[in-house]
Amino acid sequence: MSSASVPDPDSVPALSVPMRDRPNPLTQSKPAVIGFAFLAAMFIACLGSLPWTLSASNPEVSEVPRYDSGDPKSGRLPPVWWPYDDTDTKRAIAAVDQSTLAQIASEHNTDIDQIITDADSKAHEQAMDAAPSFILGSDNLGRSLAIRLLTGGGISLAIGICAALISVGIGTIYGAIAAYMGGKVDSVMMRIVDVLYGLPYILLVVLLAVASNALLDEYQSRARTKTNWAINQIIETQTTETDESLTRSEARVIFESDPVLQDDLMVQAAQLYPRRVFSTGTRTTLDVLTLLIAIGGVSWLTMARVIRGQVLSLKNQPFIEAARALGSPGRRVFLKHLLPNLIGPIVVYATLAVPQAILQESFLSFLGIGVKPPLPSWGNLAAEGLSELNTFRSHWWLLFFPCALLGLTLLAMNFVGEGLRTAFDPKRER
Amino acid sequence: MTQAATQPNMNTKSMTNTPIMEVRNLAVSFDNGSGPRIQAVDGVNMTVYPRQTLAVVGESGCGKSVTSMSSMQLVPRPPGRFDRGEIIYRMENGEKVNLLTLTEQQMRSVRGNEIAMIFQEPMTSLNPVYTVGDQIIEAITLHQDVTAKEAWKIAVKAMDDVGIPDPEGRMKAYPHQFSGGMRQRVMIAMALACQPRLLLADEPTTALDVTIQAQILELIQDLKETRDMAVILITHDLGVVAENSDVVCVMYAGRVVEYANVYDLFDDPRHPYTRGLLASIPKIGTSHDRLVTIDEIVNNPEEFKKLPGADKGVTPWWPWNEPPADLKKLNEPAGDYCLKQIAENHWVGVWRTEAVANDDSPPPQLNYRVADHKE
Repeated sequence: MSSASVPDPDSVPALSVPMRDRPNPLTQSKPAVIGFAFLAAMFIACLGSLPWTLSASNPEVSEVPRYDSGDPKSGRLPPVWWPYDDTDTKRAIAAVDQSTLAQIASEHNTDIDQIITDADSKAHEQAMDAAPSFILGSDNLGRSLAIRLLTGGGISLAIGICAALISVGIGTIYGAIAAYMGGKVDSVMMRIVDVLYGLPYILLVVLLAVASNALLDEYQSRARTKTNWAINQIIETQTTETDESLTRSEARVIFESDPVLQDDLMVQAAQLYPRRVFSTGTRTTLDVLTLLIAIGGVSWLTMARVIRGQVLSLKNQPFIEAARALGSPGRRVFLKHLLPNLIGPIVVYATLAVPQAILQESFLSFLGIGVKPPLPSWGNLAAEGLSELNTFRSHWWLLFFPCALLGLTLLAMNFVGEGLRTAFDPKRER
Repeated sequence: MTQAATQPNMNTKSMTNTPIMEVRNLAVSFDNGSGPRIQAVDGVNMTVYPRQTLAVVGESGCGKSVTSMSSMQLVPRPPGRFDRGEIIYRMENGEKVNLLTLTEQQMRSVRGNEIAMIFQEPMTSLNPVYTVGDQIIEAITLHQDVTAKEAWKIAVKAMDDVGIPDPEGRMKAYPHQFSGGMRQRVMIAMALACQPRLLLADEPTTALDVTIQAQILELIQDLKETRDMAVILITHDLGVVAENSDVVCVMYAGRVVEYANVYDLFDDPRHPYTRGLLASIPKIGTSHDRLVTIDEIVNNPEEFKKLPGADKGVTPWWPWNEPPADLKKLNEPAGDYCLKQIAENHWVGVWRTEAVANDDSPPPQLNYRVADHKE
């Protein structure tokens, strides 16, 4: 076969560009690459700084985490690089503690009022150096907006990703099962989706959030357990005293009509069933969990429809029939042959579901049913910022930065999602 | 009697003289929404012996694929339904089972293990997300209790058997890295990895060009000989039938119209439809203004008067013709038709007229192999 005259194929220069050197469709799209870089930076900054922002700056003095610590005296200061006007300067200097101010005053032979009013003096400059400064300004309680934005971003992104994962998970399994079973099962399952689609999703989220809140409250206060105990008490006393047995509804009427008895019994009950106490951390975590389950549990509908369509076309592919003809059990065909072929649409939809979930979270927080203050999220930071906007004096940074970060992140995510969609699309233009 | 007459020379093992699969009066219909059920298969009979290739020929929609899918219970039900009949399959241990009544669980040990199938579309019959090695190994581990290493070895052997060069290296390749012919070889390797005793080849070469077609068919023939395997070859290409089959079953509208060994069928076609099929093949070296169509043959009433006993009323069954006046229709589905043995090794579908009403033709069974008659 091999003779000396035949040149080694590797030594012959190739005529065309090798396959692997051709541009990758994903890196071809500039918006997608820039968006991806922006997102990576955002994720590292927000999620990476969470341990720092959620911990207390000085654990021995107070337990207040960094995102919530601030001095109202230094409230509403603009970003440090923004020119301060008179009121800002006054507030900034007023926030410097008195002993430092007194020291500066004595050094320059003036008094404290003089330092504040005389803007050109050396003493004023020195006082301003000692005054607290914030890179992105501070809010009305003197908390650093930058730290609150980092924390809020971490929470928004985490909720976005988790909610998107939940929605993608439920949607994929639901849609795939509906399509794979086919027939009546499919019809019933998809009609349920249609009905849920018809309901305004905000209503569902609010209902879920309110219901879970009520459950948590009941778990903490144990009001129902206490009332039940009180009614049982009434029935018992009645039976021992008069030998007459009362029905529960009769006992309830007595209980509700006699405030003295009611108070007395409830005090006793409170001793028997003390209020269960959550730490702030637990309560916050539970609230966030409820929120992401509510968002994820409502936004899987589109995913279910997309996946159902994909599975319907996939399950008639000959390779599925071939797998059955080999004797694969149905479950195995589903898990091993169908699902891996759905990775493309799942990934694309997931990248587009994350910004949607973040937006929903922000929207709900903006309305006041999402993340509860003092825990920040981009949504409730923007809501706070909006209330700071007025014709008399605008604290623009409080509205601008949360909105800008939210907007840029959503834009970047959509660019990346679009880039992935194009890359997975077999019919894309070269 | 028929059996004994067609018995070939005596060097075949005794087991090869017992049918491996017998399809008896199989009828399958499909739900058609608001309309009447569509009778895809309406009383089909056929018999396959080990080491034999049975070719099932017919136009699209005549029920040939549904018949083979039924034997794997791969007909989607609903909308499909087995109306009547049975498919008797002789398992490796000699036990006879009716494939139509097995549970899904029992069926899984038949599929791939006893009966394997290769499909028409090699381009889409492999899962694009797994390597071909993974897919062959899956087929092996489904039915054989082997370790991963042993399965790998069996898979490499199977790839080698079907003539894939560098089987070790190609195990790690994905389906899209193969050409159509190579993919069909992979499908055959997958089908054969579990040593099935019956291979259903549903138009295995339709999507391939003629040179690859010849290679694939030759490969199937070789494997059939070396493994004592039976093959049901579904096709609409009479050239393929002539080259590769031992017994031919011609189907039309869900029924068998002619059943004979390959030489008898090509030399002496008895049903007008078969004659039409054969006449419509263009012949190289002759010049025609236009080619003969099947319609020209089956629309000619004279063609229906050529069967032995035609004067007594033995008329070939043809759904578009008026049934003969002396039709003795049985009060059951497909009661106007019967498959009559008109010669020792030749069956033709005829109207159930007076002349054939008391006919007791055995169901078609031909233990015939071309290879045994070559010197």
